[in-house]
Formats: sequence, structure tokens, C-alpha cells
Amino acid sequence: MKPERAALSALIAVALSCAAAAADKPPKWDGSRVSPVHRIPLKDELDQEIVPSESYPLPFSARFTCAPCHDYDMVRKGLHFNAGRPDAPSGRPGEPWIWADEGTGTLIPLSYRKWKGVWEPEAVGLTDWDFTRLFGRHLPGGGVSEPREEDVTRDSRWDVSGRIEINCMGCHNASPRQDPSEWARQVMRENFRWAATAAAGLGYVGGIASRLAATWDLFDGPSPDDKEWAVPPSVKYDPSLFDAKHKAFLDISYKPDDGRCLSCHSATSIGEAKHEFDEDVHTASGLRCVSCHRNGIDHEMVRGYEGESKDNDNIDGEDLTCAGCHLGKDAEKGGKGFAGRLGAPFPKHNGFPKVHFERLNCTVCHSGPLPAKEPTRVRAARANRLGIFGIARWATDLPAVFEPLLVRGANGKLAPHRLTWPAFWAETKDGTIVPMKPESVKADAGDILDAAGSVGRVLAALYDIPDLAGTPLLIMSGRAYELNADAGLDASPYADDLAGDNLFWAVRKEGNIFPLVPEIDPDAPEPNTDAEARLLQVLITLGTVPGAPGKPALAVKKALYVVTDGSLEKKDAPEPSARPELVWVRDGKQAPLVADFARRAVLTLTGTDQTLTEEQVALVLTKLGKDHAYVSSGRVFRLNGKGRLEDGSDKAAEPVMWPLAHEVRPARMALGVNGCTDCHKAGSAFLFGRVKGYGPLRTSRVEVRSASSFMGLGRAYQFLFGLSFAVRPLFKGVLLGAAAVVGSLLFLAALLWLGRISGLIGKRS
Amino acid sequence: MLFIAITVLSVLGILFGLTFLRFRAIPAAGEERNAPSRLRNYAGWLGDGARALFDPGIPAKALALYKTWTVRCYPGWRQWVFVALATSFGICAASGFFFAVFVPRGMFGIPLLCHVTAGGLFAVSLAALLLLRAGAYRPDDGPGAEKCDLCPVLKNVPMTYVLTGLFWAFTAAGLVLVVTALLSMLPYLHFGAQIPLLGAHRYGALAALIAAVVFFDLGILPRRG
Repeated sequence: MKPERAALSALIAVALSCAAAAADKPPKWDGSRVSPVHRIPLKDELDQEIVPSESYPLPFSARFTCAPCHDYDMVRKGLHFNAGRPDAPSGRPGEPWIWADEGTGTLIPLSYRKWKGVWEPEAVGLTDWDFTRLFGRHLPGGGVSEPREEDVTRDSRWDVSGRIEINCMGCHNASPRQDPSEWARQVMRENFRWAATAAAGLGYVGGIASRLAATWDLFDGPSPDDKEWAVPPSVKYDPSLFDAKHKAFLDISYKPDDGRCLSCHSATSIGEAKHEFDEDVHTASGLRCVSCHRNGIDHEMVRGYEGESKDNDNIDGEDLTCAGCHLGKDAEKGGKGFAGRLGAPFPKHNGFPKVHFERLNCTVCHSGPLPAKEPTRVRAARANRLGIFGIARWATDLPAVFEPLLVRGANGKLAPHRLTWPAFWAETKDGTIVPMKPESVKADAGDILDAAGSVGRVLAALYDIPDLAGTPLLIMSGRAYELNADAGLDASPYADDLAGDNLFWAVRKEGNIFPLVPEIDPDAPEPNTDAEARLLQVLITLGTVPGAPGKPALAVKKALYVVTDGSLEKKDAPEPSARPELVWVRDGKQAPLVADFARRAVLTLTGTDQTLTEEQVALVLTKLGKDHAYVSSGRVFRLNGKGRLEDGSDKAAEPVMWPLAHEVRPARMALGVNGCTDCHKAGSAFLFGRVKGYGPLRTSRVEVRSASSFMGLGRAYQFLFGLSFAVRPLFKGVLLGAAAVVGSLLFLAALLWLGRISGLIGKRS
Repeated sequence: MLFIAITVLSVLGILFGLTFLRFRAIPAAGEERNAPSRLRNYAGWLGDGARALFDPGIPAKALALYKTWTVRCYPGWRQWVFVALATSFGICAASGFFFAVFVPRGMFGIPLLCHVTAGGLFAVSLAALLLLRAGAYRPDDGPGAEKCDLCPVLKNVPMTYVLTGLFWAFTAAGLVLVVTALLSMLPYLHFGAQIPLLGAHRYGALAALIAAVVFFDLGILPRRG
């Protein structure tokens, strides 16, 4: 190649790479601080303008609607959308996604980012499709919920549901119509491509994609045959939002309202009334989330922790950390540092030894609830499915999230953390515990895991008894159980002795409780026809219980009443019964309507947020076979050689923790405002609080740790050090007295010296 | 870093100076004029001295020295004031300088507790010692007959003046130590003021150490030769 040509080629290559680099850079701001009015044509995913009056308009696509002005591919690299990208920085740990399955007692912390204690979704068998179905309710779109064609797995139904594009409106829609609950509902129906349109209030979306055949696609349009069940999703746009040229007015906010962030990023303590909740002091002062958590069009959002710029090359400096605003740049090194950004008050920290600023993050004293003997249990928006409103109860009690736990971070400083304990059934492979998918556990465990369900199914069936006119109840061990709206059981105290220790099926009418089946005496000369008629209804109804393990019957003394050809038949009971008892009869054997283990589980668990007993775990582990375990409350449970449940420790049972930064309390409510003894005293909650493992298994065998162990501090030393603060006021007095004596004598000596030099005092021989 | 350099240099300098001046006072050593051989002799003398520290008779000699000193200056129960001051100062100096020089994080843990406790004892015993012994170091006392042979600069200065100066220098440094410790514990000074307080505490400790070492060498340790 000639030198000139080579030089030209090199020049072109450099120019092309510069052009490519320029394309990766966000556009420059023109300087206007005004946000433009967004009266724009909506476009669908085929890049066609949407005409709302058309018969079957498609949902709007953020990718094509926003694209003329905003670089969608650049936005996709942002913090909220890049977790699944291999080049995405992990950064400081954040809240993991928690795969919660109440029935199996599964709580697996997941993240695509490489954080300690979390499982990569792929490692536990979750595809992008699974992940989106599980967590799409709180996903902002993009990322794994918008997979590339080559990433699509065979189990998925992306062609039916569509991808979830980045939900720009989820954050930037200033309209009060923006509805995160509607988003969650649409995602749960697998109406992925329609969810943003419905949630933004641009139109009404009907139909349920999850019911459609896997072969359906967008071009098939509505179903002419099925208007009831498998109805393809469709949009009916609100015409009032469009002008004559079909341009829609979108009320776009450049800086999203806090409510948009809090939909996914809130945590509140359990038991606290909504009106008692104190918002973050920054919010109370007029700042918004995005005042500090800023981003450009690349959506590389500032998380605002110390060391972030080292974790993420795209974050310039750390001006928006606590110290960045309150102390100014390098103020800790002695300069003034231009503190007070956005009106941040400059903290004096009078009397605080320097070590506190070297070893503690600001949030230790200023954020989250004050340390207590046991950490505060909170519910977090994503972990506990908060912020989705409707008739059904979406919020969950588990996972149990606790705060604050003080843990040393990568910068060597303590920071308050939230903590949750993983729980899952597991296989041991090569000595390593690997979580099992809840479906496979359910398949092996059968009814063992569904104790409340076995009662609930009977109670639900009993509602169908003609002329029942009341609420069916199960009474046992002094409590009455009834079905609630979520198909669970509610328990209330029951004082009368209708049941004793046995199961007793009853009905509550107008506050009074009656036996479900009136008393029947098989030895009576005359049959009680009314009672037998009710019994017939009850037995027929029980025959409809899904998965019934046998034929329903009533065992009384030596008689057994069963339904034969629609009529009541009295037989000899295989096992005489002292009291009338409803039973299942199978292969000539009687079994109670509720199995004994299920009864014990209901007694133990109803009214708690826990879902498993040790007996159930042992039964399931027996079915799963050896090399299986159950993890809960920081312990690993296995069956020993004698078939008994024993617990041990394992890395997989360790709690997962992530730092918290909010709610920030005012300075006068910070830890230490009452003096050193807020933390430094023998038995202080700060150092000597206890953290107990908590999970779906109701057991006394839980991991218990001290707060100081999380900090990596010696308990004995901290106890001694704390004791020293009891005498510290005296110590200060002693020092003051000593200083006064020494200072006075030194002053006298200096006077003598001066007198000697000046000749006022003669020499002493 | 500056403090570490100053500490190391000044402690080494003082130790070298004091030992060399003692070596020079030995008549045979003083006659040697050739510098390299004089240094060799000094090193040999220093080695002999170091070995002598492990001599089985050393504890008895130290006890005798202690008794001589306390009988003369701190008779009866008053010796315990001296013991308290010396012990507490020793603990504070050993822990403080070790962590200041060798541990970047600074002092923490049990050593910090010991340092603070010993610091309190130091403050009390310093005040008590001053009440008992300040009169012996009156700045307006006349000069004694003994001249200081510390170095050529102070050659004609009376020894009483030097010891009095060292006594009050130690006292002043001790006051700095007590006041800086006290101020850092009181809730009046903000973080920006605490950094120079720590610096003052450290330099006060260095000054007290130097004054104590020189005083011990000149006022307590007997001359040889």
C-alpha cells in the first residue's frame, strides 16, 4: 500500500471512530431550562403513527414515540435498565429482587449484578421471560424484559405478550392518571406491550394475553369467536388526549415526581400508621429524589454513595454524596470546600472524635430508624409488592426485611443496611447448596405444603350447601377457622367446648355457632329426617372438594353414613367413632377431613406470616430424598440418619444485606444527639442489639447474632469501652481540676521567672 | 507523616546526643582526635552499654538509683506520686508513639482504653507532683555551683537552671496534653478544630518525652568516669 493511501485510510479510520464516539456521547444542552410541551404523534411498535379512532389501534411504543428527540439506545444503558448487560457495573449492593413463593416457603434473593449473597437468575433456572413475569410488576421496562431476538428462550411467549419497552411514562408522566397498579395488572396478564399505554392513562386496555394460544401474534388481531375468555388485548384510546391531527398531549415532567420513584423504592416499618410516617428531611425541605439522584439522557443515575465514581466510570465525581453537599469538596481535609449546596447546612459535629468520620458513613447516625434491641422490620416496595392497589391483596408479609444493621462497606466505613434471610428448598451438588424451583418442590411434596389449603378447600366447598345462610367454620383447639378473601384462613378464639381436641365443622349464623351437621343417632328408633337431609347436602357438597382423597362420610358410633346414588346410606363403620366425625373413606379406611399433620400446621401457622412447620419440612425432605435441604432463618435443615430434622450453618443461609440511605432524619434526631452514650454504653442497642433469623419456617432454631458481630467489632471490648463512658463525666472533671492546678502553678512559675528577669524579685540563694 | 519524621529524628537525635556527650566525658575517649576511630570507639562503648542493660545486676542498680532519687526528692508516701507519674507517662508515651508512628489508623481498642486511663492518672499525678515539688524548681532560685556539660552551647549554664527549665518544660507540655485531651472530649469544638487539637496533643507529647529523657539523663542518672 502506498504511504499516501495508508495515511488516508488511517485518517478515515480515526474519523469514523471519532464519529462513533461522538454518537455515544449525549447531545449537548442548548441552555434552555424550559421543558418543551409534548404534543406529539404517538407511534406504535411498527413505527406507524397511531390514529386513535381506528378500529384496532396498537399500543404506543416509547421506542418510536420518544425516539425522534431522545436516543432510546442510550437510555437503555442507564442504571435502571442495564442490570442484565454483561458490561454493566455492579456498584454498591442494592436491594435484590426476591423470588417469593408463599406455598413452598421460597425466598430467593436474585440479581443480575454481582452482589454478595444473591443468586443470578440463570443459576436458579430463571429465563428473562420468567424474570419478567415474576418481577415485571415493578420493572421499569427495557433490559431483560426487552430481550434481543437471539436472547429469546423457547419457553417464552414474547410474540404473544410483546416486549416491555422502557416505560418512560412510568417516571416522566406528570399526569395523575399514571397508575403503577394498572401497570402491575397488565404485566400480570402478560399484556406487556400494552402495559405502558394502560398505566399512563392514554386509553383503556382490555384482554388478557396470558390466555391466548402461543401461536397468536399481533397481526392476528382480535378473536372473532371468543369474547369472554381468550380475548386478545386491545386499546381504546382516550380521544380527549388527542388533537385534530392525532397528536397526543403528554404531560411530561423532566424531573420525575417523588411518587414515581417511591412506587419501587419505598420502605416503611411494619405496624406504623401511614399518618405517623415522617418523610425524609430532604423531602421535607423541598428537595426531590432527583435533586440528588441525577442523570443525563444516558440515565446513568447518581446513586450518591462514597466511592461511586470508582465503581462506575460514567459517574463524574461525588459532589452529590452527603459530604459533597454538606461539607463541600475536600472539606474534611481542612478547606472550606464550598459547602452548602442546595442549602445543605454545614454540620459542626461538636465534640465528635475524628475516628467517627473515618469509620462511619453519615447514614449511620442520620438515616433509617434508630437502632433498637432488635432491628425494625420493614416492608420494601419491590420485595413485598407494595404500591399495587386493588380488591386483591398484593402486598406480602414475607420476605421479612429488617433495618438498620450496621455493616462495614467496601470503603471500610460502617453503613446502615437492610437485611433479609433467604429461604428455599435446595439440592446439594458437589457440596454446594443450590436452590430448587418452587414448581419442582410442589410437584414432589404434593399436599404436604398446602395445609391451610386442605382446610380452605373444604370450607370453600361448604359454602355451596343449599340454604347454608352462614359462614362455614372449622373449630379445633379453642379456635374457629374461616376462609378469608385471599383463600387463606382467619382464626378467632372460640370458647365453647363443641369440639374438644377434635375437628368440628360448624356454621356461624348471625353471630351464633351451630354444628354443620345436626346430631344424628344411628341407634334411634325413628330417623331424624331433617338432620339426615342436611347430612346428605353436606356429603354431596364435600364430594366436590378438588383433590378429595376419598369419599366423604359421617362416622357416628358404629355407623357410617355415605352417599350412594344420591341417597344417604347407613353402613357399618370400619372404625367406631365416639363422636360424630366427617371423614374421607378410601379403600375401606377412614381418614379425617383434614390430615393430622395439616391440622397441626394450621394450628401452628394460622395468624402468623410463616407458612411451614418443622413437621412439614421433615415430611417434604423425606419425599425429596437425601442430598436435599431446606434453608430458612439463617440455618440449613436436613434429615439425619434417623429421619429427624437437624440444623446447621452454610454460606447459602447467610443473610443478604444492602445499604440504606433514607429516610434521613434531622440533625436533632440523629444518633449521638444525646451524647456518646447513645451508642457507647454497656448494653446499647447500637452495639449489643440482637438480630434473629426469620423465615417461612416456624421454628425456634434460628440464627442469632449480635449487632457488633455484623460490624466486625469485639463484643467484650465494646462492653468495656461502653462502661468507660459511665465514669467519663467524672473523668472530665478530674482532667479539668488537674489542668487548673497545673496551669495555675505554671502561671505562677512564669510570673516568678518574669519577676526574676525584670529584677522585681531578688535571687534566692 | 511530618510528625512521624520529626518524632523519629528528634528521639534519635536526643538519644545520640545524650549518649555521645556521656561518651565524650570519659577521659580516655575525650583524648581521641581522629573522628572515624572516635565514632568506632563510641559505637563500641554504646554496645557495651547495651549489653550491660542485660547484666543480672541491673535491676538492683536501678532499684538503688530509684531509692536514692526518691529518698532525696520524694520521701515516704510521696514516692508513689512519682511512681504514678512515671508509670502513667511511660504507658501513654509507649502506646501513643507506637500507634502514631507505626499504625496508620491511629490508636484504637484496648490500647486506647489504657492510654486514656493512664492519661487520667498522668494528669492527677502531675498536678500532685507539682504541688509537692514545684518549690524545688523555683525559677527565681539562684544558680548552683554545678555547671551543665550537656553541650558546648550550655557549657557555662548552671545545672539548676537547666533542670528547672526542663522541669517546667515537662510541666507545660503536660498541660498541653491534658488540655487538648479534655477539649476534644467536650462538645464545644467542631470537627475542624479537633484535627489541630490532635496535632497539639502529639507534639506536646513529643516535647514532654524529650524533656523527661533529658531530665532523667542530667538529673537522675549518675555520671560515669
